[in-house]
Amino acid sequence: MNPTAATRPPTKAAIEARGLGKTYPGGIEAVASLDLVVPRGSIYALLGPNGAGKTTAVSMLTTLATPTAGQAWIDGLDVVADAASVRRAIGVTFQETVLDDALTGRQVLEFHGRLYGQSLRERRRRADELLDLTELTDVASRKAKHYSGGMKRRLELARALMTVPSVLFLDEPTLGLDPQGRARIWDYVRALRRTSDLTVLVTTHYLDEAQQLADRVGIMDAGRLVVEGSPDALIDALGSDTIRVRGRGVDEALDPRFAEVEYVESFTRVEGGFLVGVDSASRRLADVISRAADAGFSIDDVSVAKPDLGAVFFQHTGRSLREGAPA
Amino acid sequence: MNTTLTTEPTARATPGRPTSLAAAATIWRKHVGKFLGNAEELFGVIVQPILWVVLFGVGMRSAVAIGAGAGDDYVGFMLPGIVALSAMGGAIGGGMVWLDERVRGIVREYLVAPVPRLSILLGNVGSTLTKSLVQAFVIFIVGMLMGAVVRGDVVSWLLALVLLVGYAAGFSGLALAVASITDDLMAYHSMIMLLNLPVLFLSSALYPLSALPTWMKVGALANPTTYLVEGMRGTVLGGSSDLPLLLSLAVTSAFAVLGVAIASRAFAAKTKRG
Repeated sequence: MNPTAATRPPTKAAIEARGLGKTYPGGIEAVASLDLVVPRGSIYALLGPNGAGKTTAVSMLTTLATPTAGQAWIDGLDVVADAASVRRAIGVTFQETVLDDALTGRQVLEFHGRLYGQSLRERRRRADELLDLTELTDVASRKAKHYSGGMKRRLELARALMTVPSVLFLDEPTLGLDPQGRARIWDYVRALRRTSDLTVLVTTHYLDEAQQLADRVGIMDAGRLVVEGSPDALIDALGSDTIRVRGRGVDEALDPRFAEVEYVESFTRVEGGFLVGVDSASRRLADVISRAADAGFSIDDVSVAKPDLGAVFFQHTGRSLREGAPA
Repeated sequence: MNTTLTTEPTARATPGRPTSLAAAATIWRKHVGKFLGNAEELFGVIVQPILWVVLFGVGMRSAVAIGAGAGDDYVGFMLPGIVALSAMGGAIGGGMVWLDERVRGIVREYLVAPVPRLSILLGNVGSTLTKSLVQAFVIFIVGMLMGAVVRGDVVSWLLALVLLVGYAAGFSGLALAVASITDDLMAYHSMIMLLNLPVLFLSSALYPLSALPTWMKVGALANPTTYLVEGMRGTVLGGSSDLPLLLSLAVTSAFAVLGVAIASRAFAAKTKRG
C-alpha cells in the first residue's frame, strides 16, 4: 500500500507480474507465484482448469484483489500503489454477466463513460462506434434485460472498451455462448487488434479459440503457470503426431522404454497415462503399444491426434480441459 | 466489422480524474433515472403516502378527540409523521437497490472504475434522499388539500428541509449499512422491519409528546423521528412544537452524521479489496 515501496517494473510490457501470489485467509493459496510478461499489442490467453487460479490472477491485475506476494504492473503502474491509475488504463469483463439490465444498451455505455469522467461528446461518439462494432445499434434503445445471452456479452465487451483502455481483461468472455456467439466475440477482438495496439488478456477454456487467437498462451494449474509460449511453439514441441495412452501402471519403468528412441519427439508421463510425440502415428502406434506393454503398463485407451493445445494442456496438467471445465 | 475505432492516445487520456462528487452524481443519476423510468415504483412511491394521509388522517380525525398540543388540525399534526415514515420507506428501498447491486455483482463495475469508494456511498444516499424529498412534497400537497394549515415563509421551509435531509440521510445510512452486511434479501427485510414499528409509534408522530406516559416519552425522546416531527411542527405547520427547534436541528444532523458514518464503515469493509 505504500507507494514508495513500489519498485519499477523490470520491463516495458503492458502487463507484468513478478512472483504474484494470493493466499486467502485460512491458508488457501489461489495463486502461488505467477510470472507474466505480456507485450503491448498482443493477445495473451490464460488457460487452466477450474480452480487453477485464473480468475484470482485477473482480480489482482485488475485491482479487485490485493496480492499477498509479489508485484504486478499494468503499463508500468503498480496495481496496488497506483490502483487508481491502473483502473483508468484498463477495461474489464467479468466471468459472470454483470449488467444493470434495467438500463438500455446505450444507457449502460453512457453510464460507464460518465463514471470515468468522459465528456458528453466523447461518450456519444464512443458509444456509437462500439454499438456499431458489436452489432447492437438496432437494439441500443432496448433494455438489456431483453437481450439474449450473446448480446449481453457483446454489450459487456463494448462497455469494457468504452473508455479506450490500453489493456483489456476478458474473463471467460464466451462462457455459455453458442459457437456462433463465441465466433462473434472473437471477431470483434480480432478487429480491435487490427486497428489498435490494444493488449488483451483473456481467460478461456476453449482451447481452439486460444490456439487461433492468442499470440501467447499460458497454462495455469494449481495456482502456477506450468508452461507458456506461442501456441505453435507449444504444439510443435509435442512432435508431428501425438499418441495419448491411458491406463494403469505408470511409473519410471516407462521412461527408459521411450528414451533415446529415434522416432520419439517427446514423452510425458501424466496421471493415468502418458503422451508420446512421434514423427508418424500410423507407423509407430504398434511399437509404442508394445513398448508400454513391455514396461508392464496395462492399456485402457489409446488415441492419436494431430497435436493441438488440448494435447499441450494434457501434457502439462495431466487432465483434459473438458474434465476441468465448468459444468 | 469495418468499423474503425478511435485509437489515438488523445482519446485515451480522458481529462482529469472524476471527483467524488462527480462520480456520486453519476450513480445518483442512474438510480433516479431508473426510478423515473419505472412506472410501478414511481406509482407506489407517490400513492403510498397519499393513502396514508387520506385514510389514516381522515380516519383519525373523526375518531380522535384531539388532545392537548394537537389542536384541531389532526391532518396537519400527523403530516410530519407520514413524511418520516415515507423517508424510512425510501431508505429501505435505497438499501435494497444497493443490496441488489451487490448480490448481482454490478458493484464490481464501480470497483474497477477509477472512482473513490466514498462516492458510491454518497450516490446511494443521494438517490434515497431525492425520493424522500419527492414524497414529502406530495405529502404536503395532499395534506394541504385536506385542510392542513401550513405556514409560508421561506426560512421555515428551508429549516424543515434541513431537518428532513438529516433524518432521511441518517436512515438511508443505516439501511445501506445493513444492506452492506447481509447478502440475503429476507434477512435484510426482517432486520429493517424490526426498526419500522417503534420508529413510527414510539415517537410523537401520531400523538402529542406531552400526552405520553413517561416511559413512552423516554422512548420517543431517544427516537430521531420525534425531532423531525417536532421540528416540522414548529416550522412549517400550524401547530406548536414540544421541543426547541435548535435541539431538533442538532439531533437530526447528528443522526445524519451517525448514519452515514456507520454506512461508510460497513461500506469500507465490503468494498475493500479481497
